[in-house]
Amino acid sequence: MKKSLSSWLDNKEHLAFTIIIPTVLLLIAFAYYPAIQSLRFSFLKYNIKRLSHVRFYGLKNYLHVLQDPVFLSSVLRVTYFMIVATTTVLLIALGIALVLNQKFPGRSVLRAMIIIPWAIPPVVNGQLWKWIFNGDYGALNGLLFQLGIIHQYQFWLKQPFIALNFAIFIFVWRYTPFISILFLGVLQSIPEQLYEAAMVDGAGVLMRFYHVTLASLRRIGGIAVILTLIASFSVFDGIYALTGFDEATKTPMIYNYEVTFDMGRFGKGSAMAYLVGIFLMALTFVYIRMSFRKDAR
Amino acid sequence: MKKNTGFRIFLFILVFLILFWSIAPPIWIVISSISTRAELYSKPPHWIPHNPTLQAYVNVLVKGEGFRGGGGVSAARLFRKGILNSIIISVTTTILVMSFAPLLGYAFSRLRFKGHEFFFYLIIAIIALPGWPVLIGLFSEFSTLGLLDTKIGLILLSFTFRLPFETWFMKGYFEAIPYEVEDAARIDGCTYVQALFKVSLQMVMPGLIAVSIISFLSTWNMFAAPLVLTYTLKSKPLTVTMTEFIGQYFVNWDLMSAATVIAIIPPVAIVIFFQKYIIRGLSAGAIK
Repeated sequence: MKKSLSSWLDNKEHLAFTIIIPTVLLLIAFAYYPAIQSLRFSFLKYNIKRLSHVRFYGLKNYLHVLQDPVFLSSVLRVTYFMIVATTTVLLIALGIALVLNQKFPGRSVLRAMIIIPWAIPPVVNGQLWKWIFNGDYGALNGLLFQLGIIHQYQFWLKQPFIALNFAIFIFVWRYTPFISILFLGVLQSIPEQLYEAAMVDGAGVLMRFYHVTLASLRRIGGIAVILTLIASFSVFDGIYALTGFDEATKTPMIYNYEVTFDMGRFGKGSAMAYLVGIFLMALTFVYIRMSFRKDAR
Repeated sequence: MKKNTGFRIFLFILVFLILFWSIAPPIWIVISSISTRAELYSKPPHWIPHNPTLQAYVNVLVKGEGFRGGGGVSAARLFRKGILNSIIISVTTTILVMSFAPLLGYAFSRLRFKGHEFFFYLIIAIIALPGWPVLIGLFSEFSTLGLLDTKIGLILLSFTFRLPFETWFMKGYFEAIPYEVEDAARIDGCTYVQALFKVSLQMVMPGLIAVSIISFLSTWNMFAAPLVLTYTLKSKPLTVTMTEFIGQYFVNWDLMSAATVIAIIPPVAIVIFFQKYIIRGLSAGAIK
């Protein structure tokens, strides 16, 4: 019996389907099916707190979302968030990778230290910074006060524009290590001969940096931009911990949670989730395509 | 290349800045956690505590002091249950991923079968599936199936959403090892399964370690899903119980900072210890 099972399995198709079918069933049950469920909800008037009033609603949820001033301003806000975050992450990551690519004593220790922010759970990251930014006793206030930059403690997170930028900052702090590591991996794979060849051709430091270093980072740079755009658009945990549902930092991700699970409006929430989700899916497909491309790094 | 002294000083300053940027915030939370309440709430802050104490750790781990906004649950119970739940959920997910991802990676890189492309994209497309649409549907599905507020529900969820990434990575790792090794094992009379376990799996071990660590970390760090899908201490992971130290109007910063330090020790220790694997895993993941 055992013999026949193992010989039945010793066939490429039998083995493959034995592995794949259970997995696919699992993914259908807990990923595709729920996604289709919420697509269905998005066409219903469906408030979880008023279950007797569920009825077909057509495209009205979508119209309501697109006419909702809170949603529209959250889209503007996250656009600002993505632009500032992506630019900053890429620049700082490039700087860190260039430094780590130099030879100096303690380099491997520093390389371990820079990944620490990335290891911290995002929600814990939000709480850590909420303490540092605290208006009554925070370290940021203490530091700026002692340096004489401010003369009295500030409630940073109560000032909308500052709160938004601080939310961006804590994302940048957590995400930069990941991109630095990607950049460093490519920098370390640049053959020394390329630099030597450029020197023979009479290229100065700046020209070598531009034509060799930056040129090698082109492909990974593109991937890093997409990854950071996706990640900064999707931030939820950090903002939830830092400022909760505050207007100042309300991105579509936060608002979507608030509408769906705080207000119980599953219909409108699902419609919003799909509107936002289509944008995210488009970005992710670009990423998957880019990273599948096999040609030169 | 000869580097001059100016460059060395410049480099040294940059190294110092990078170090400060990366570790000053976590170090500050460690300092806060060993400060007395009086020092914690002093203006300007005591950068180095005059009377260091472990009281906050005792409160969070052992003594179980109640706190405002805790709803009658003691801080220690909230915290200990959270840690336990997080460990159970993360370890189980990691073991499941470790058992399935290599098989899937092997199937897609080595075996030719009908619908190869179709099934691969069916699995990979999950990566592009955005969070909220799935979570909203999952909330209603879980409440029908009785999986709301259970650890099993969270494990199923994190396993389902880790698997596509890890399958993709493992496929890449298998593709990087030569076919000849397995062919040799086949000639020696091994079945495909035996060849996989005896030969190929050994060769993709570094990849498997990377994949497992990344699965553990991302499950440990998970927050939005358990926030939606759990509501009692029976199944809330640490990330969710911790946010309860922060009330709307009152925050227990001493409990908070001790809890933060304990919560970041496992992931930070893992990252530092397995640094090489993680770096390789992250780079391999992003650029296949």
